[in-house]
Amino acid sequence: MKGEIRDVREIIREEMLMRAKIMAALQEGPMTVPEIALAVGRPAHEVMYWVMGMRKYGQVAETEEDDGYFKYRAVLGEGK
Amino acid sequence: MNYDILIVGSGIGGMESALKLGDMGYKVLVVEKEPSVGGKMILLSKVFPTLDCASCISTPKMAATTHHPNIDVMIYSEVEQIKRGKNGKFTAKVRKKPTFVNSAACTGCRQCEMNCNVAVPDQYNSDMVARRAAYIAFPQAVPKKAVIEREGTSPCSYTCPAGIKAHGYVALARVGKYKEAFDLILETTPVIGSLGRACYAPCEGECTRGSLEGPLPIRRIKRFIADTHYRENPEPQRRFPETVGKKVAVVGSGPAGLTAALHLARQGYQVKIFEAAEQAGGMLRLAIPAYRLPKDVVDRDIKNVTALGVEIETGSRVENPAALKEQGFDAVFVATGTPVARSLQVDGENLDGVMNALEFLSKINLGQKIDLTGKTVVVVGGGNVAIDSARVAVRLGAQKVIVQYRRSREEMPAHHWEIEGAEKEGVEFRYLSAPLKFIGDGARVIAVKAIQMELGKPDAGGRRKPVPVKGSEHQIAADMVITAVGLGPDTRSFKAELELNKNGTIMVNQDTLQTSVPYVFAGGDVVTGPSMIVNAAGQGRKAAFFIDRFLKGEELAGAGYNYRLPPVDQQKVLARQKSYRKLEPVAATEHLKRGVRDFSEVEAPLSEEDVWYSTGRCLDCGVCSECSQCIATCPANAIDMTMQEERVEVEACAVIVSTGFKLFDASLKTQYGYGKYKNVISGMQMDRLLAPTRPYNTVLRPGDGKVPDNIAFVLCTGSRDCTVDNPICSRVCCMYSVKQNQLIMGALPLADVTVYYIDVRAFSKGYEEFYQQAGAMGANFVKGRVAKVEEKEDGNLVLYYEDIDNGGKLSQAEHDLVVLSVGLLPNAEVFNLFSGVKLEADDFSYVKEINEDINPAQTSIDGVFVAGTASGAKDIPDSILHAGAAAAQAAAYVERTRMSK
Repeated sequence: MKGEIRDVREIIREEMLMRAKIMAALQEGPMTVPEIALAVGRPAHEVMYWVMGMRKYGQVAETEEDDGYFKYRAVLGEGK
Repeated sequence: MNYDILIVGSGIGGMESALKLGDMGYKVLVVEKEPSVGGKMILLSKVFPTLDCASCISTPKMAATTHHPNIDVMIYSEVEQIKRGKNGKFTAKVRKKPTFVNSAACTGCRQCEMNCNVAVPDQYNSDMVARRAAYIAFPQAVPKKAVIEREGTSPCSYTCPAGIKAHGYVALARVGKYKEAFDLILETTPVIGSLGRACYAPCEGECTRGSLEGPLPIRRIKRFIADTHYRENPEPQRRFPETVGKKVAVVGSGPAGLTAALHLARQGYQVKIFEAAEQAGGMLRLAIPAYRLPKDVVDRDIKNVTALGVEIETGSRVENPAALKEQGFDAVFVATGTPVARSLQVDGENLDGVMNALEFLSKINLGQKIDLTGKTVVVVGGGNVAIDSARVAVRLGAQKVIVQYRRSREEMPAHHWEIEGAEKEGVEFRYLSAPLKFIGDGARVIAVKAIQMELGKPDAGGRRKPVPVKGSEHQIAADMVITAVGLGPDTRSFKAELELNKNGTIMVNQDTLQTSVPYVFAGGDVVTGPSMIVNAAGQGRKAAFFIDRFLKGEELAGAGYNYRLPPVDQQKVLARQKSYRKLEPVAATEHLKRGVRDFSEVEAPLSEEDVWYSTGRCLDCGVCSECSQCIATCPANAIDMTMQEERVEVEACAVIVSTGFKLFDASLKTQYGYGKYKNVISGMQMDRLLAPTRPYNTVLRPGDGKVPDNIAFVLCTGSRDCTVDNPICSRVCCMYSVKQNQLIMGALPLADVTVYYIDVRAFSKGYEEFYQQAGAMGANFVKGRVAKVEEKEDGNLVLYYEDIDNGGKLSQAEHDLVVLSVGLLPNAEVFNLFSGVKLEADDFSYVKEINEDINPAQTSIDGVFVAGTASGAKDIPDSILHAGAAAAQAAAYVERTRMSK
């Protein structure tokens, strides 16, 4: 988990870009943030911004907690 | 506007003062810079020591403030200056920022927000999650109205001569909304595929990313959007707008004519285009070679116009546009371009084998076969048309193609990438060489008599003038000579009706494009001279706007055409981030080979992955991208992108400043790793995580989403600390941390909570019991200052501290989340508000109360009072109490001044 933190504005801007990739990864089933990070090849702390942004706007929702981590699943967007 | 009291700021202090004064019958104006009243308190989870819900306490006051009959609230507004007038009253200049949403119509449904394509940090969630450029500040916002954050027009969009919203379609492509991106461009011009290939892309020249690694390939993104749309929709959907019963003739079917026709047809006019050539498209069809712009793309672009019912009559030259009125047209738009090639004025131009570039390119583009196999072709000129001609000659089999240009390469008007492309295809360049005459063997050209040039002094245009070198005459053998030395309009037959400029272009009113004949408008190259496709498209759009007004009988002068916000300052855009990840532009790929023989497109399209990567480089300069999705989805039609900033002056007898506090920036305590270690957060961030409107689904580590089970609090971060120039106690950190301890232990019963403190200040009513209660619930209080924090590989954090209760030994402990209980700082902005008189600060830069003990809230300015934390760090009960005092002081002052009159 060690390593540079990019500027938050830059990470958050990429939510729009990462949305499709995260949604594609979640087609396999609910995943934790570290699992999504592994699937999309990006650091977990960056994925956290994107997943929580997507949760806020109705694209993902949490499911069960598994060993200290919540899993997130794709849902139909509220705005759609 | 006259008020008894002006209140600056609508936090809990400002609202409390306003409500008290309003209830007393005073007319009050509250000015709030945010889009909602409520200040910081509404963002808190609960309040101490009662653990009442902060929202439950705040929202009734927020609603009461905005609905009180004696209180006016200006949200999203900033007081710029307050000055006392001669009558003793204060005059305040207030800037009302445009929200771009008609608040009367907005229902707060959030559709704009849900469909917005720009993500920015949500300041109301302490930057832990994104919000959108179109947003409602927070769920309990009062008023619950959307705001669109627009810092200006993005430079790419602003610079487009046609007004194409480049940032908008880039933002839409970024989320894969290619159809919406296509439709957005189609709002401006139909020649989308053509521009995606042949535009010189002034947008890219202004791209802010250009000052980092290089601009976005905006033009090629447009091409991708057009190609994707055309592949999925080979034929456009035919849609005939409701007719208004008037007819408009468009003369010329180039980008200007097509664009004007599109806009006019959409307005319900019956539009007919007259085109002199046998095929429509103007220069797109005739001048640009197919290897740069395939003609099926031009055909498909044209269908965007004919799908609206526009008729195109080809092979129909209009000699007198004004006379079209007699054929029943109510208005005419002349966009005939520059179809006449300039002469070189040298002997031999009439020889067989000498041809102007436009004639040469037109023949090829219209399908005529010219075989240049084994021939030597000399192209005279240095512009893009010359390069196009040379590269076409290569494709026709010429053995040798020479571009002869009288200046050096540096002065060549053609784009460098065009020159480089030609070189790679085998074109030879002879710089500083000019033709003297074309030599014929009988009627046919066989050579160019040329002379060497050298650059002399700069001419009137600043370019160094080429001067012949004496005795350097020589011959260049040539089977064919193509002259490409400029184009001009063909307006001779218009002269009788329309006023022309000396160079033959049509004279128009530059603002409206109206000619000397009121119902005739003109635009594009026939007005501007040879220019870019995108310029011509812009002229067509503008002409349509004014033709529509003309036909509706509306005034043309002063009509607001194409209003845009000023361009955003690129330096400010770059300053928004402390660092940038290096993202090199995708390389331009052209399939170039020496002696190419076919007309297949040379430029490779961007792949979807390229588009994804490239759009991801966009910096969202203007914040809002103007993608129009909010407009398209707002059920109340509340979006108004033309809204402009307003400045108003208000008068008030007294002023209360309730401008609150700032939070200490935890990153200044570098030893704690805030902003560097993912799982170190601030106290305000923890409060957001605990609030019902939290950014996550529960309290989670920002580093990986783990539910923390061992949380540390570091008290006095940035307060009681001379190293950060804030020696005073912030009065709230101990108790808000204790509050958070209790809430965490409720939310995460298995979590351990440790508080590192110097001493716990539980000074007010119920505080000591509250503190004891946290301990009883299991919070572990460790007396000792934390010296530093280190991050482990798994994201856990090791705290190094002095363990005072155990002999003062240096100890360390591991936690999986660290909360820095940051202190409060004064909001110094308040001191800039007053003009002509100084609002004094106390020793710690809060607003000074000149006689705090017996006259609380009174400042150094007679008639100006301070409420809440603007005068010093306070908890919420004290802020409310203080705001009440400020209200009483202000009311007394107003009455006193009335009595004295």
